[in-house]
Amino acid sequence: MEEFLQNYGFLLVTLVQQSLLALSLYFPLTAGQLSLAAPGFYSLGGYIAAIMATADYFAPWRDALGWAIFPLEWLIAAIASALLAFLVGIPALRLRGIYLALATIAFVEILRVLCLNLDITGGAVGIFGIPQLFESRWGYIWTFGPLLAATLFFGYRLDRSRVGRAFKAIREDELAAGAMGIDATRYKVLAFVIGAVLAGIVGAMSAPFLNTWNARQGTFDASISYLAYVLIGGGRSLWGPVLGAVLLASLPELLRPLKDARLIINGVLLVIATVYLPQGIVGALHRLKQIALSRGAAARGGDGRHP
Amino acid sequence: MTGEREFPSRTIMDAVQLLQNLLNGISIGSVYAIFALGYTLVFSILGIINFAHGAVFTLGAYLTYSMSVGQFGISGLLAGLQIPYQFSFSLSLLLGAVLSGAAGVLVERLAFRPLRSRGADPLLALVSSLGVALVTVNVIQYLVGSENYSFPADVYGDLPPAFMFHFGGKMVVIRTVQVIIFSVSMLILALLGYLINFTRTGKALRAVAENAATASLLGINVDRFILYTFFLSGFLGGMAGSLVGTSFGIAGPYFGVAYGLKGLAVIVMGGLGSVPGAVVGGLVIGLAEAFVPADYSAYKDAVAFAFLFAVLLVRPQGLLGRAQIQKV
Repeated sequence: MEEFLQNYGFLLVTLVQQSLLALSLYFPLTAGQLSLAAPGFYSLGGYIAAIMATADYFAPWRDALGWAIFPLEWLIAAIASALLAFLVGIPALRLRGIYLALATIAFVEILRVLCLNLDITGGAVGIFGIPQLFESRWGYIWTFGPLLAATLFFGYRLDRSRVGRAFKAIREDELAAGAMGIDATRYKVLAFVIGAVLAGIVGAMSAPFLNTWNARQGTFDASISYLAYVLIGGGRSLWGPVLGAVLLASLPELLRPLKDARLIINGVLLVIATVYLPQGIVGALHRLKQIALSRGAAARGGDGRHP
Repeated sequence: MTGEREFPSRTIMDAVQLLQNLLNGISIGSVYAIFALGYTLVFSILGIINFAHGAVFTLGAYLTYSMSVGQFGISGLLAGLQIPYQFSFSLSLLLGAVLSGAAGVLVERLAFRPLRSRGADPLLALVSSLGVALVTVNVIQYLVGSENYSFPADVYGDLPPAFMFHFGGKMVVIRTVQVIIFSVSMLILALLGYLINFTRTGKALRAVAENAATASLLGINVDRFILYTFFLSGFLGGMAGSLVGTSFGIAGPYFGVAYGLKGLAVIVMGGLGSVPGAVVGGLVIGLAEAFVPADYSAYKDAVAFAFLFAVLLVRPQGLLGRAQIQKV
């Protein structure tokens, strides 16, 4: 067990972290908004944590608070992400579909170039030597794990709430939802802010986990990875993004024996998965279950669970 | 240098600087235009963005390099290889673009058609085309490594490396490659304009773009014209990649990613799906980048996206785009 954690602890925590980032893209998508802004907020949260943990002018805070500085970092990252998402979201969410996706790509790129050039973010080098919260990498499961559990619980509750139903109504038909008296803009901004806050907190938790933080943390490539997690896992269920993230994020590790060719295979698998699993894995499983049920009923021989 | 800072010559220097920036901006802007047209053609027909376009751009640059220089570096499968027979630069440029067009057709077959025939969510095409891009870029890396490749100065034959002319006692420099980029881009634009507006094929393409179902009822083979479109798109992408590569060098297999994103800014700027819009957008962004003061050159890459964001907020249909009619 000890050895297993030594070898795979980092990977396991990474999988949980990637699942959370996939979920941060999933929440806006439940309201029909394709936002690719998650890496921007992830990067912002990480910079906030990295600056609070290393900059001289936060030294008295660190001395006074001890380990409690870490939850404070998460809180501030969450608040900053919410404010920025609110500011970006109100004008950007008047846009629909691909326009919104492009606007969020622009947001991520502008933020990346700023972080690459500002002094406070350490320029191209970034911020390194970020103090650790736990002794081993594996320890971070105690921050990411509960966050994932809390997010899933929140998502489960949200799905069954008034707000969640409003999101779904907007996703299915924004005009009809508006006609029913749903304030579409308000709920769209809310969905966008929820995703941003989650990404911001994950970023703040990831800065000590990764030890260094730089502008490469928030790139366009990452946006598309998260989108792939959600779509290949299944964008219509809370479990889809988690399953997609776990499978796709562990893929490079599983393909490691292929060395240089592994990214090629990764791309091939991405294409095959999109073509053959258009509803995502969760969607495909759901369909299989329905087919099995209807066959079982037709044959009248089984209990409906027969393959 | 202090003498040049005096008042009378200063205004002249500014005028020269203005002219120089203008020339630089038009040159790079014309490449942005032909590159962005590749996105536009596909978008106007399928209503989706082909995220493999940046990879085709990269592929075109490497193909042209292989055919006109063909000297490979120290990493990758082809390390140390010198391809024995070389074509002239102009022929390589053309062949590179044609092969990139073929790659565009392949992208359609692998990433778009299977999804279309299954009636899948158009969002999925973003992921599948990015998958194809990932494969393309990494195959290139596997073959030739991730080092920089640049075209030697004598690749254009006997042409001098730059033209200089005097303007109010100051020098304005136009690199030969800038002239080549500009003239090739303009030639391509003229040909494309002719193809779209004055030929039967162009008419059919416009019909498919307007409404694929109606076009199909009128006896147009929609799938074939979608293939044509991807060929043209790949041709334009590969050509743009080769031109940028010959101007600034090929900075590894990922060098197309940044241009791929910038191309998105260009098409949104001009209006998604608008052909003249892509040209205007390319020139506007090329010029805007050229006029970024030297002190802020690190922020140059953000200019296109700042424009993109601003245009989306103020005029989401772009400068020359048609406003979307909200269907109930």
